[in-house]
Amino acid sequence: MPRFLHTADWQMGRSYSRFDSEDGAALVEARFQAIEKLAQLANEHQCDAVLVAGDVFDAQTVSDRTLRRVFNATQGFAGPWVMLPGNHDAALAESVWTRAVRLGAVPDNVHLALEPVVINLQPQGLAILCAPLTQRHTYGDLTEAFSGYDSTQGLVRIGLAHGSVQGLLSDDIDATNPIAPERAEASRLDYLALGDWHGTKQINPRTWYSGTPEPERFRNNEAGNALIVTVTEPGAVPEVTQIATGRYQWHQWRETLAVESDLDQLLQRLQALPEPSVVDLRLEGSITLAGEERLLSALSVAEARFRSIRCERSGLQLEPTDDDIAALKADGYVGEVIDALRQPQQGDHSQTARDALAILAGLLKDQGQEASQ
Amino acid sequence: MKLQRMRVEQLRQFRKPFVLDNLQPGLNLIHGPNESGKSTLVRAIRAAFFERYRSTAVDDLRPWGDSAAAPTIELSFEHQDKPWRLTKSFLQRKRCDLTIGTDSYSEDDAEEKLAELMGYQYPKRGVSKAEHWGIPGLLWVEQGTGQDLEQSVEHAGDHLKSALNSLVGEVASSGGDGVIEAVRAQRDILLTGTGKPRGDYLQLDKDRIQHEQDIAELNDRITKYQEQVDRLGKLSQDFERAEAERPWEDAQRQLEQTREHYQQVAQLEQQQSQEKATLAQLQQNHRLLQQNRDHLENLSNQLVARKAELDKAEQALSLAEQQTPALIKGLGDAKAAYESAEKHLKLARLLETRGRLEQDVQRLEQRKQTLTQNLTKAREYQQQVDHARTQVRENRIDADQVKQLKKTEHQLAEETIRSRTIATRLSWQLEPGASLTLNQQLLQGQGEQQLLEESSLTVPGVGTLAITPGGDELASTRRRLTGLQQTFDEQSKALGVDSVEQAENRLAAFDSAHRALTHAEELLKTVAPDSTDQLVSEHKEVESELQTATHQLQAMARPDQTSPVPAMAEAEAAFTSASQVLDKAEVSERRHQAELLTLKQARDSARAEWQRLADEEQNPERQQQLKQLSADLADIERQTAQLQTSLEQRERDIRDARPDLLRQDIERYQNTINNLRQSQEARGRELRDIKVRLEAWGAEGLEEQLNEQQAELEQCSRRYQELHRRAQALGLLLTLLTEKRQALTRRLQAPLQKHLNHYLSVLFPQATLEVDEHLRPGTFIRGTELGQMAELSFGAREQMGLISRLAYADLLLEAGRPTLVILDDTLVHSDQERLEDMKRILFDAASRHQILLFTCHPEKWQDLGVPPVDIQALKEGAAGAART
Repeated sequence: MPRFLHTADWQMGRSYSRFDSEDGAALVEARFQAIEKLAQLANEHQCDAVLVAGDVFDAQTVSDRTLRRVFNATQGFAGPWVMLPGNHDAALAESVWTRAVRLGAVPDNVHLALEPVVINLQPQGLAILCAPLTQRHTYGDLTEAFSGYDSTQGLVRIGLAHGSVQGLLSDDIDATNPIAPERAEASRLDYLALGDWHGTKQINPRTWYSGTPEPERFRNNEAGNALIVTVTEPGAVPEVTQIATGRYQWHQWRETLAVESDLDQLLQRLQALPEPSVVDLRLEGSITLAGEERLLSALSVAEARFRSIRCERSGLQLEPTDDDIAALKADGYVGEVIDALRQPQQGDHSQTARDALAILAGLLKDQGQEASQ
Repeated sequence: MKLQRMRVEQLRQFRKPFVLDNLQPGLNLIHGPNESGKSTLVRAIRAAFFERYRSTAVDDLRPWGDSAAAPTIELSFEHQDKPWRLTKSFLQRKRCDLTIGTDSYSEDDAEEKLAELMGYQYPKRGVSKAEHWGIPGLLWVEQGTGQDLEQSVEHAGDHLKSALNSLVGEVASSGGDGVIEAVRAQRDILLTGTGKPRGDYLQLDKDRIQHEQDIAELNDRITKYQEQVDRLGKLSQDFERAEAERPWEDAQRQLEQTREHYQQVAQLEQQQSQEKATLAQLQQNHRLLQQNRDHLENLSNQLVARKAELDKAEQALSLAEQQTPALIKGLGDAKAAYESAEKHLKLARLLETRGRLEQDVQRLEQRKQTLTQNLTKAREYQQQVDHARTQVRENRIDADQVKQLKKTEHQLAEETIRSRTIATRLSWQLEPGASLTLNQQLLQGQGEQQLLEESSLTVPGVGTLAITPGGDELASTRRRLTGLQQTFDEQSKALGVDSVEQAENRLAAFDSAHRALTHAEELLKTVAPDSTDQLVSEHKEVESELQTATHQLQAMARPDQTSPVPAMAEAEAAFTSASQVLDKAEVSERRHQAELLTLKQARDSARAEWQRLADEEQNPERQQQLKQLSADLADIERQTAQLQTSLEQRERDIRDARPDLLRQDIERYQNTINNLRQSQEARGRELRDIKVRLEAWGAEGLEEQLNEQQAELEQCSRRYQELHRRAQALGLLLTLLTEKRQALTRRLQAPLQKHLNHYLSVLFPQATLEVDEHLRPGTFIRGTELGQMAELSFGAREQMGLISRLAYADLLLEAGRPTLVILDDTLVHSDQERLEDMKRILFDAASRHQILLFTCHPEKWQDLGVPPVDIQALKEGAAGAART
């Protein structure tokens, strides 16, 4: 009863430009930990093999250190690993794979599917039909060749490919590296393990995208999983279990603040998020001075709690209430300046004016505090 | 605020209590000499307000040497209809008490009240300084500082403004300037004075550019890397395909086939050239044999030709021989004619010579005759010449002397005539026989004599008459006569003549002889131009020539005159013609002989040739040879034909095989093999190179680096944008704050300006003094003068200072603030006229403010219209009162 772990899209070597270097480093580190987690899961679920459906590496030229660390991270699972080159790490004449081999970084139990072949894992009862990408982009269906592959009798026939299933995924996925949706059936596959789509997705009972084990962008749905696949015998319908592997949750919220309670709601939701979160806020609408103060304070708290939080407020109008202004106790010409800054502005000026008003409010508040002391 | 009473005690020279009472609400003139305590009073008022009662830094208030003193000041004044009373003691008894109406304050509370009322601060510690004095610092002018306005205004600044705020109904921001400073400080962190980025902001911009460059470089390198990877893929494919297919081996096989084929053709070509050589030999042989046969066959023909030639030669010879006699005869004739002509020529020459000799003799004889005649004549003429010469010699006389003589004679005659006219004429007619003796000269007959000298006439018998001629000239005439006579005599003598006639005759004879000589000499020259001797020798020569010629003629044979003799020219022409004819005849004859010889020789050789051929023709071997030759020739021709067929066949074979193309094919295949092998080797090399290169580049983790760089750039840009936004916001804020503040200041300036103008119009009509943003009098304009107040003269500055202070006081009054003006010995530098104006101003100001004017020159201020207060008198009065 062969059982294996299906994963993909590790994208090792990627760094995170949108974050501060400290956060970025932690997120990179989490991806290495994800591999270790996969190894651990494979052991826990007594998997016969781990199949990686492409994009192990984010680029061909990653540093030697990254390269070695990736293979080191697989050490937890001693069974066979089959790694398939995807579009980011295609098996070109010179590739991250040839370098890994040259460096001697590839452990013996890791099979690199650098050519379109069938890898027979006889002891595990698995025949892995590999469709590696050998060019950066292909426009033909590489899995078509699966139909022509004969596998040893009695072995479960598993397809391993990287690309986009035609007609099923949204348009923003590259139209290159197409895969026919009925490939599993057409090529008599018991299971087709796919990579390229970073969220976990079932195409049909025999065809799955595992998604990336650790999320690395906000856009994906259902990222941060691995699949445990059990095929009782050749021809049997596979049993697929989705297991969460991701450490960080990535949240991207687009909120419009209109009334005071909107802010309350937002802050509550923020409060409710678990600590290992990566949050990206984009706020629009308007906010009072008092509200902004609350928001800033909440963000300050969140910064300490979460792995990362970023809040884009350029679309958020600072609209101080009269109470706000009164609280500043700005008299004389400073009062006039505040009035001037509150006047509706145009284009960039409105941004600058808002910023200026915020700065002035801060200064006045500081002054008020000093005075009251 | 009106100060009403002032009391001091134990304060400097006022050890005893001193009271300044009855102070008026307007102008108060307080005077006293130096050291009278005038300044001490001013100091006391200041101390009462400015110094903390518990200050330990006010030792100057203590009377000299009195360490136990407690300097005390009491002030009573009225403000806003409330009586204020302040008592302040220092040093030994530190106290401060203030009562306002019914309210009492003490210590610090009291002091704070005062400060709030007047608008000043206390020092944190130590003595109060100008910067603490606020509004009083502006209105209370210390001695000699009236002109220094700026500092005072600055120190009063905030108080002034707050006073003014209430006035113009505006609120100057309470912390506005602090905000501006804070904004400016924050802005200055990001931007330079001119608005350029600085510090982190600048660095971020630079970093951003640096990152962008790095990224561009990395991208380049990654692109290169990818290109190399692609190249590697393609190369590996090509290399492996080539290794599998080994196309150079096919080429090698083709090369070998072609080489074989080419060798076959080469063999054929060799055979061909050998056969061609054989053919050439055969043809050569054939040609030789044919020549031999032709030679033999030609012999008979030659014999006939030779015979004809022989006949022709003989004929030519006989023809030439026939001409010989005629030629010989012609030669003889020519010789005879030549000889005859020669004889004639000789004769003609003889005759010619003879004729010429005869002519010579004739000519010489004639000459000789002529010479003889000439000789005779020459002798004759010579005689004439000699004669003439003798004549000349004999009659030689000097013509000038003769002339002179003649002249002398003439003079003598004239003188004689004159003497006759004056002389005493003595005529006499004597009887015949009678005689007289005149001067021993016997006179007889008739006669006359002129007497020029005393004469004595002796009449015989009678006696002697002495006659003395009269007249004066007589003596001189007589002397001249005698002189002339002497001269005449001398000249005659010199000439050797007796008279003039004789002299003239001789002169004539001389001239005649001279002419005769010339003539004779001319004649002689015509016959003997050179000399007679030459004529003689010429004559001799001619004679000798004649003799020679005569001899020659005689010696010459007389020709035979019988035959006719041709003329000389004719004879010569005939001779020349004859000799030419002879020459021609001789040449013809010689030529003929030579021709004969040639012809004979030609005939002989022709005959010999003919003979030889004739002999040969008769030889039997020749027939045999001819037959043999024909056989050989036929054989060779057959062989040649065979060979030519074979050659043609092979030539076709060779041509069909195209050996040139075969050679090119061989080269082509060789090149192909080389190229294929080389390109495969090159591929191998490039493969290795690329692999090495990619290994090196791959190890750098370029894309990971790029990732990181991009992350850094993004962070950098983010931070830059933040700072940029902040810089812009701060800039905007600063601009707005500054603008609003300036606008406010401008609004505050107006009332001050109004009051300032009020005073200024009294002091400097038509002048203006502008108030600047710090509420200080700034630009001063008077007519065309334009300048800052600080540039004015000391006196003018003091006056301006004072009117400015009064203007502030007006302003403060309007704002409901207390105003008390204290002037300590002010305007000491003003001239009389200005002082008058200032008095008017002070008087005017005093209608609104209380003014305390301390001075030690009361006389200057007599006309202020207020009674002066004399400190000295007050002191004495106080002392007196104390005593009583």
